[in-house]
Amino acid sequence: MCGLAQIFESQGFSTVLIGFVKEHMEVIKPPRALWLNFPMGRPLGKPNDPEFQKKVIRVAFELLQKSPAPVLEDFPEIIPVKEGRMSYALPVDLVYKVNQLGDIDKLTDEVKKELSNLMPDYLKAIDNNGRTTVGASEMEISDFVPYISEFAKGNKPKSPRKGLPAIPLLKLVVEDLNAVYTETRIYKDKIDDLEMLGKWFWQETYAGKLLLAIEAVSLESDDQVLRQIASMSLLTPRFWSEGPLPGISGSGWT
Amino acid sequence: MVLIREMPAVGRGFIERLEPPDFDSSHWTEPVPLRNSKIAIVSTAAVSNRGDKPFSWLARDYRVIGKNDRDLVMTHVAVEYDRTAWQQDLNTIIPLDRLIEMEKDKEIGSVADNHYTFMGAADPRDMEKSALEVSKKMKMEAVDTVFLVPV
Repeated sequence: MCGLAQIFESQGFSTVLIGFVKEHMEVIKPPRALWLNFPMGRPLGKPNDPEFQKKVIRVAFELLQKSPAPVLEDFPEIIPVKEGRMSYALPVDLVYKVNQLGDIDKLTDEVKKELSNLMPDYLKAIDNNGRTTVGASEMEISDFVPYISEFAKGNKPKSPRKGLPAIPLLKLVVEDLNAVYTETRIYKDKIDDLEMLGKWFWQETYAGKLLLAIEAVSLESDDQVLRQIASMSLLTPRFWSEGPLPGISGSGWT
Repeated sequence: MVLIREMPAVGRGFIERLEPPDFDSSHWTEPVPLRNSKIAIVSTAAVSNRGDKPFSWLARDYRVIGKNDRDLVMTHVAVEYDRTAWQQDLNTIIPLDRLIEMEKDKEIGSVADNHYTFMGAADPRDMEKSALEVSKKMKMEAVDTVFLVPV
């Protein structure tokens, strides 16, 4: 982001950025930057709070009147996070081995039932919001679980989407499934709590358990791409963890 | 975001190992007064219109979002940031409605018709060609001010 600012500035645009990693902003020195002590994924701070969002914009735009470069200031308000993490992270010890997964068909049926129970409120949520973020995979919601389940069984189904291989599609389906759940829960219970929503989805739903099963299977897969995205935690939220990621030796961990 | 030293171990280790790009930091364009400015948003949230080609994991390219486009999806490779905020309100990551309101209130000159998104996980050095293309598009639209928003 800081690098893009310098490219655009070199092309004759005045730039102002808001950003999260203060140490990088100090080193890269974009011309005008406002540091936000907010959770990642929330650069304007608070959903459905136009005045707070405008405050962020106004404080950022005030930097356009300041010189000399680089101008780096802190936004005066903090949105606190839990234990320094910028989003939800799975507990370090919540990791399955393939031999602990049990009957995947039974788990799949439980997820289908769970998802079916959510659908009436999900449809109300779309009506209420006027939009949904579900759909990056371009698959029907009813096809999400069968597709994911094949990976949990150790299979690699053919991608039904032209031009997008099976594993990149899997990632989008996983995120779409997660979004159906969280959009529904946000609407139904009127909550905006990223930690609570993360804990609920990943630790308390059958869908979360099915995705952790994919992680376990992927880590032992012969498919290098699948192994890699699981070990890099691109399927499951472990980036803000305090411990070694699954598939990475704990020895030498600091 | 908290300072790097305050982060949990995995994220702290990853971010500490990132090598910041060495761009020329001497460029400075004199800003147009805000009330006369035409503003475009550049986001690194890898958001695009439903039906657009998804971003690849280390995409160097970009997508265009119209000022009134709201039916958007995200294909960002990373899962380390909260997605529940933008599920509730697009303005949490791309504040188009806020800028439109500020235009109506004459706080800013105008909002560009087109805005641009990149995949933030990619190395910015690899995005330079695309950023120059975006610059040409913004110049054709007489944009003078760019608001860069991460995710």
